[in-house]
Amino acid sequence: MTSPAAIPGQRSRWLSRTAVNGTLLLSVLYTLFPLVWLVTAATKDTGGLLSGEAFSFKGFDLGHNLSQLASYNDGVYFRWYLNSLLYAGGGAAVCALVSVAAGYAFDKYAFRGKEKLFGVVLLGVLVPTTALALPMYLLASKVGLVNTYWSVLIPVLVNPFGVYLSRVFSASYIPDEALEAARIDGAGELRTFWSIGLRMVMPGFVTVFLFQFTAIWNNFFLPLVMLSDQKLFPLSLGLYAWNSNTHAEPSYYPLVVTGSLLAVIPLIVAFVSLQRHWRAGLAAGSVK
Amino acid sequence: MSRSWTRSASALVGTATALAVLTACGGGDSKSDGAGKGTADKPVTITFWAWQKGSKDVVDAFNASHKNIRVKFEEIPSGNAGGYAKISNAVKAGNAPDLVTVEYPMLPEFVSQGSFQDISKYVTDDVKKQFLPQSIQQTTLGGKNWAIPFDAAPQAYFYRKDFFEKNRIEVPKTWDEFKAAAQKAKAADPKARIGTFFPDDPTTFEAMAWQAGAQWFKADGDTWKLNTADAATHKVADYWQGLIDDKLVQNAVSFSPEWTASLKDGSTVGYLGASWGAGVLKGTVPDQSGKWAVAPVPTWDGKPASGMLGGSTWAVTKGSTKTEAALEFAQWMSTTPEGIDARIKSGTSSAFPADVALRPTAKKAFDTSFYAGQDIYRLFDSAGSSINANWGWGPSMGTTNTTLKDQLGKVAGGSVKITDAIGAAHDATVTELKKRGLKVEG
Amino acid sequence: MRPGTTAADTGPHPDTAAARTAAAHTEGAPVTAARKASRTRRARGRATGAAAGVLLTPFFVLFTAVTVVPIGYALWLSLFTEKQSGLGFGGATSVFSGLDNYTAALGDRAFREGFWVLAGYCVVYIPLMVAGALALALLLDSTLARARRFFQLALFLPHAVPGIIAALVWVYLYTPGLSPVVKAMNSGGIGFDFFSSGGTLPSVVNIALWEWLGYNMVIFYAALQAIDRSVLEAATMDGAGEWRTAFGIKLPLIRASLVMVSLFTVIGSLQLFTEPLILNQGGSSTVTSTWTPNMYAYTAAFSRNDYGLAAASAVLLALAAALLSFVVTRLTNRKGAKA
Repeated sequence: MTSPAAIPGQRSRWLSRTAVNGTLLLSVLYTLFPLVWLVTAATKDTGGLLSGEAFSFKGFDLGHNLSQLASYNDGVYFRWYLNSLLYAGGGAAVCALVSVAAGYAFDKYAFRGKEKLFGVVLLGVLVPTTALALPMYLLASKVGLVNTYWSVLIPVLVNPFGVYLSRVFSASYIPDEALEAARIDGAGELRTFWSIGLRMVMPGFVTVFLFQFTAIWNNFFLPLVMLSDQKLFPLSLGLYAWNSNTHAEPSYYPLVVTGSLLAVIPLIVAFVSLQRHWRAGLAAGSVK
Repeated sequence: MSRSWTRSASALVGTATALAVLTACGGGDSKSDGAGKGTADKPVTITFWAWQKGSKDVVDAFNASHKNIRVKFEEIPSGNAGGYAKISNAVKAGNAPDLVTVEYPMLPEFVSQGSFQDISKYVTDDVKKQFLPQSIQQTTLGGKNWAIPFDAAPQAYFYRKDFFEKNRIEVPKTWDEFKAAAQKAKAADPKARIGTFFPDDPTTFEAMAWQAGAQWFKADGDTWKLNTADAATHKVADYWQGLIDDKLVQNAVSFSPEWTASLKDGSTVGYLGASWGAGVLKGTVPDQSGKWAVAPVPTWDGKPASGMLGGSTWAVTKGSTKTEAALEFAQWMSTTPEGIDARIKSGTSSAFPADVALRPTAKKAFDTSFYAGQDIYRLFDSAGSSINANWGWGPSMGTTNTTLKDQLGKVAGGSVKITDAIGAAHDATVTELKKRGLKVEG
Repeated sequence: MRPGTTAADTGPHPDTAAARTAAAHTEGAPVTAARKASRTRRARGRATGAAAGVLLTPFFVLFTAVTVVPIGYALWLSLFTEKQSGLGFGGATSVFSGLDNYTAALGDRAFREGFWVLAGYCVVYIPLMVAGALALALLLDSTLARARRFFQLALFLPHAVPGIIAALVWVYLYTPGLSPVVKAMNSGGIGFDFFSSGGTLPSVVNIALWEWLGYNMVIFYAALQAIDRSVLEAATMDGAGEWRTAFGIKLPLIRASLVMVSLFTVIGSLQLFTEPLILNQGGSSTVTSTWTPNMYAYTAAFSRNDYGLAAASAVLLALAAALLSFVVTRLTNRKGAKA
């Protein structure tokens, strides 16, 4: 560095730069610190976890924790893992498609009562989810869906906010001229949506998919009410059940912590690898 | 929402055989599968929900030895962690399992919701004879039997023998001595506490009131009489308020990481719990094996007296068409040695069977090295017979205990006194009973 | 009508020069052209109508099944109470009780207090969240920031952590005797008890802040990035510093996302549930089971078995949410009109 003190302007710029990046760095410490704790804590046995020294590598036990996790209760943890992938992957894919289709229709077509209908969708965002769980359970039991994969899958196919976002995405990603060109070429409306609209709105699709994936992956209240068979549990519910077991048996602590760490990994991988998409998606969603 | 009271039952011990009335007699069930006994040719499948440790092993053992009944086990979260909600939702929705577990305090709530079947005709005098009378009394409501008792849960005091001996503290026999011992322990080590006030667990407090002779709920004809302002309750409330104000006890959520950590680092050296706590404690701090001992819970006058803290039962749900099969399995869990072996082998349980004849088996099966070989079952035995028989739970313990718990949580902060907390629970209970259309005084 | 739907209908127009020329030669041509055009228009209208229907149907069928019908059912449930007789051990019957459940909920101090707790939470949380996310976004967008991609991702990551796990981790980090944070604070002379009655609100706010700060920051940052760079360059040419550019130029330009983030933060706050629930189970006894209105409804249904009361309180909360977001949108719209 060339003596910054020599020129006052440069000096103050250097100070500002330090202040700006220092503040950002502090914020990152805040956001990453609990995650670092999760990583180091996952290497601990019960005693290490409860002795308050979770940050050191004393009592490194990650391998043991992982094998415990794999073998406990016939490896039920990985069954939960697969279930979560199914619920979140399948649910989010269908949800994103349904949302994008609806959002596209709201954006590109004119029909009577459109804005009123859209208002109904927006109202759907306001409904407290906990309020719906109980009546939904009672209804699901009437049609015999309780304690099946469907009882968790069907409710997560709907996300009114996804429709709202999709409408915004559709407006900003799909120029009307492109659709026009397709129509002039004689493509039917649905065909146009499928081959032009959907393709162009892909970043939006990925955004809705990703956020719905996260929401389903994190969802535990609905499965808690709907499922009683452990084999159908998603990760969040399984970890919750284990966590309530820690109260009587602290040997569950390492299982919960290590299980939590593994549960976070796919989401982090998804967000890191798809960041170009969701950033673009959020940008489009926020500007409008 | 923690739950020492939902954790209670954990093991089964037994010697008696399944009851004649419940034994599958074969052949005769074709006309009414309503009773659903099942035969080897046409086995009946029942579904069973519980959270107690070892339940899976018990079910496996039962299925291996029985051809007429197949039990399908589903583990649910413990009662207050969502288990009770699941049960009542399922009954409401008409897809409940056949047999569920419920603790004594919550039994009247479920019965008053109409969730369970009246099983009086199966609970004959011969059946009743097997059990501790208090456990039968707790499962008899409005003159009818509603559940098969599993364990009894007399209070007990667990303490760190090494700490008490090192600091020459006498093990307290009365509550006055308990307070003196708490002061002495604190003087010896400013961090040490010989007991904990569990703000999340109203049943621990209720067991103390029960022990002191309080009787909060009394049925008089068609009217519920509530009495939470009696001398016994006041005495207990003032006593604990004093311990909390003087910081002579820990204040921590039961079995929370915080509380467990305080056991680990030796700042909590005593625990006022119940018989099932012996197994839980052993599982919580296995590295302190040999350092703990058990004593009878302190009393007000030095004479043996106990309340009951938790304890589990098995109940048949309203919608079930397989009552007899469900009860046969329930009986098998509560009163046979096979079920016990299976459960004991699976984990750390110190359940104190409500079936009196099974206690020697339980004693034999429990590894007491954690308590340096102390004969803890003999202690539970005398504590069990000292359980005050007056106490009965009310029909809306969900409301009563939720309110009490919410208020007790504010006691340590000083914004609420224990007596205020009880008052609030009292008022909420009266409102709730009136809302249900019941007659209530108090 | 949107251009997208009408543009397709501009077939041969009778008023064009070509059409006029054609008309001069043959009498019938314009008529045919017009008829043809109107036929196309009608067919096109039917096609788009049908397409809109096909595209909207899956969503609305599902929406009806998992939102509209359950809401209707909740409204229905809220009108009934379970009544018992004798000592109550004879089972219960469901009785129509009109608005009794609503008056019971409104008459319950615990329910009303939940709204105060929520108000306190919003007053602390929303400004912190919006200001914090905005400040970070502006910092990141300033010409001084380095390693922007890294910062953006690192700040966003907590959003990828399931709420339950976030709450579990934070409960550990709050627990005296286990937490390195509490230990460090104690040795630094700050004895703060996250589980005390004064610590409850900060504890919950912190967890929510941790989960959502980066998410909202990314939204603001994306909006900032979308600002036309020439505007900013012009400002710099005029001698505006970073500070003035940020507050004088950038901020007004991203007003729309500010409104959106505020609105969704308000809605999210009203549904506060998971974090206090886990905190309540994990060691903080000062978080009551009826701490927020949502928890009140949950407790009514799942601890007190009072489905009618639960449904009524949930309906009241949803009404409050609708009212509040109506007010928020109205206020921001009016401001927008003035600006």
